[in-house]
Amino acid sequence: MLRLAPYAEFARKAFAREATYRIEVFTEIASLILRVYLLRSLWTALYAQNVTPFNLPLHAMITYATVALLMSLVLEVDGTRVIRQKIREGSIATDLMKPISLPAYFFSDGVGQTGLHALLVIPSVLFALLLVHIDVPSPDVLAAFAFSFLLGYLVNFFLNFLMNTIAFWTLETFAIQLIVRWVSDLLSGQIIPLTFFPGILGRVVFALPFAAIYSTPLLIYVGIIRPAEYGHYFTVQAAWLSFFGLLSAFMWRAASTRVVVQGG
Amino acid sequence: MPIIQTRDLCKSFRSVRRQSGAGGALRTLFSRQYDEKMAVRNVNMSLEPGELVGYIGPNGAGKSTTIKMLTGILVPTSGSIEVAGIVPYQRRKENARNIGVVFGQRSQLYWDLPLIESFELLRAIYAVPATRYRRNLDDFIARLEMAEFLRTPVRQLSLGQRMRGDFAAAMLHDPQIVYLDEPTIGLDVVAKEAIRDFVSTINAERGTTIILTTHDLADVERLSKRIVLIDRGTIIYDGPIERIKEQYGTHRTLVVTFSEPQRELSLPEAELIENEANIARFRFDRTLVRADALIREAAERYPLLDVSIEEPDLETIIRRIYVEGYQEPSSKAPREVPT
Repeated sequence: MLRLAPYAEFARKAFAREATYRIEVFTEIASLILRVYLLRSLWTALYAQNVTPFNLPLHAMITYATVALLMSLVLEVDGTRVIRQKIREGSIATDLMKPISLPAYFFSDGVGQTGLHALLVIPSVLFALLLVHIDVPSPDVLAAFAFSFLLGYLVNFFLNFLMNTIAFWTLETFAIQLIVRWVSDLLSGQIIPLTFFPGILGRVVFALPFAAIYSTPLLIYVGIIRPAEYGHYFTVQAAWLSFFGLLSAFMWRAASTRVVVQGG
Repeated sequence: MPIIQTRDLCKSFRSVRRQSGAGGALRTLFSRQYDEKMAVRNVNMSLEPGELVGYIGPNGAGKSTTIKMLTGILVPTSGSIEVAGIVPYQRRKENARNIGVVFGQRSQLYWDLPLIESFELLRAIYAVPATRYRRNLDDFIARLEMAEFLRTPVRQLSLGQRMRGDFAAAMLHDPQIVYLDEPTIGLDVVAKEAIRDFVSTINAERGTTIILTTHDLADVERLSKRIVLIDRGTIIYDGPIERIKEQYGTHRTLVVTFSEPQRELSLPEAELIENEANIARFRFDRTLVRADALIREAAERYPLLDVSIEEPDLETIIRRIYVEGYQEPSSKAPREVPT
């Protein structure tokens, strides 16, 4: 049986820890507002020069881009980078000497960090509204979006977890993470809606796991994914989630065996 | 019944054999050859509840490897361990409830948060009942004088303050067994003494079993009666400190100050080891010659101003054992000295 009290406490401490870096918090909001402004200008210019895609008019596109940026406040938190740090410093050994489940610890620590950044969404939205207009869908669609976002968050969490666990073998994961980050930025629908990818390329990007992170919740939000299709998309997200979850469990097993046998 | 028991404990590590040069580095990348290194070899150790044992050895002797196996984060290659009735590596989490660990080189406190927050976290981790937590915390705050920096973020604490915090953190859940790994490293004399006092009281009042690894033999002399010496993975001595002191500490140094420098010096049964300005040092074996006889002899031969006798310290003795190896006294074999 997992006692929850310590993990709730881990999450609280992670939240408090993130909050100690006040300047970072403020710059994060400022940089977000700047990016909202840049993307608005970019899409406005692109739409003026090209034929408007039939299902995504300019105001929907700007909504898409802004909501994507707000989501990134939460999704760009690499909640499990502590794994990598702890492996490099060797402090993972002291954690193993505690009566806790380490994956559960990393998860709750990540949730705590995410919690603080999620709070930043509120002031960010207020500032963003000064620059752009954001469409707000019906409560049903919003609820579906929230659910899909949660699934996307978890897929993203395990993807990060997997990459950070590689550090058990390599100590350093910077290059791998950079590559995955670039690929995922482009193919997750964070910057460009995946519906803009033509033909076969479009089918490929929708089949990749990155689509489960940004694209699905965003397309639900702007209404391109219609309520009738929710079930299908949720299933795909859940499938990716189980896949990465299981892979993470497997990797963790291998990693901890390696630590206890080879001494980290 | 012993609380800690290891039998023929062995641990070997496999490491990639590196080949030299750029070509060699490339070869290392693709074809792997491994070296086996025995870090711990047939270690038999047995501790009774409430014992405080100094675990001593040079760097790389296998001290940390042993401690890691005792804490359950490292699986032995062969042999058995039992700590408070539990095989640590099989039931890591259960074992973790019984133990406390302090590393001098590595803090387990939350770096960015006030010290007190780390204590609260540990309370949640070990599910320490509120009254016991309060009692222990108050006790530690008083003994370790932590009141003034309880609310300071750990990263702003001095090393001495941080170590005191780490000690409190390790003891909050009343562990039966505590492993201390170089706990006084880098501390000033006052802080060292405070830490030693604390360890000694915890051991005496709570009956906590303690294994202390350190390079500072003053820690060991002050705190424990028994030491275990390990060298190159093998235990070379396990027994009372007094015994090796008697056995190896038969040499004394006679320090003589003359009224003027002496060119030619000699004393019966004593070896001149230093003669500089007007001070000379003689080494002698107290089983062969008595100090007072030696002093009388010196007084007859030379104009003396001052005489003193230096006893060997534990450090000198242990250095000698590392170099020469430990020889059992012919009469009675000490307990558990595997060869």
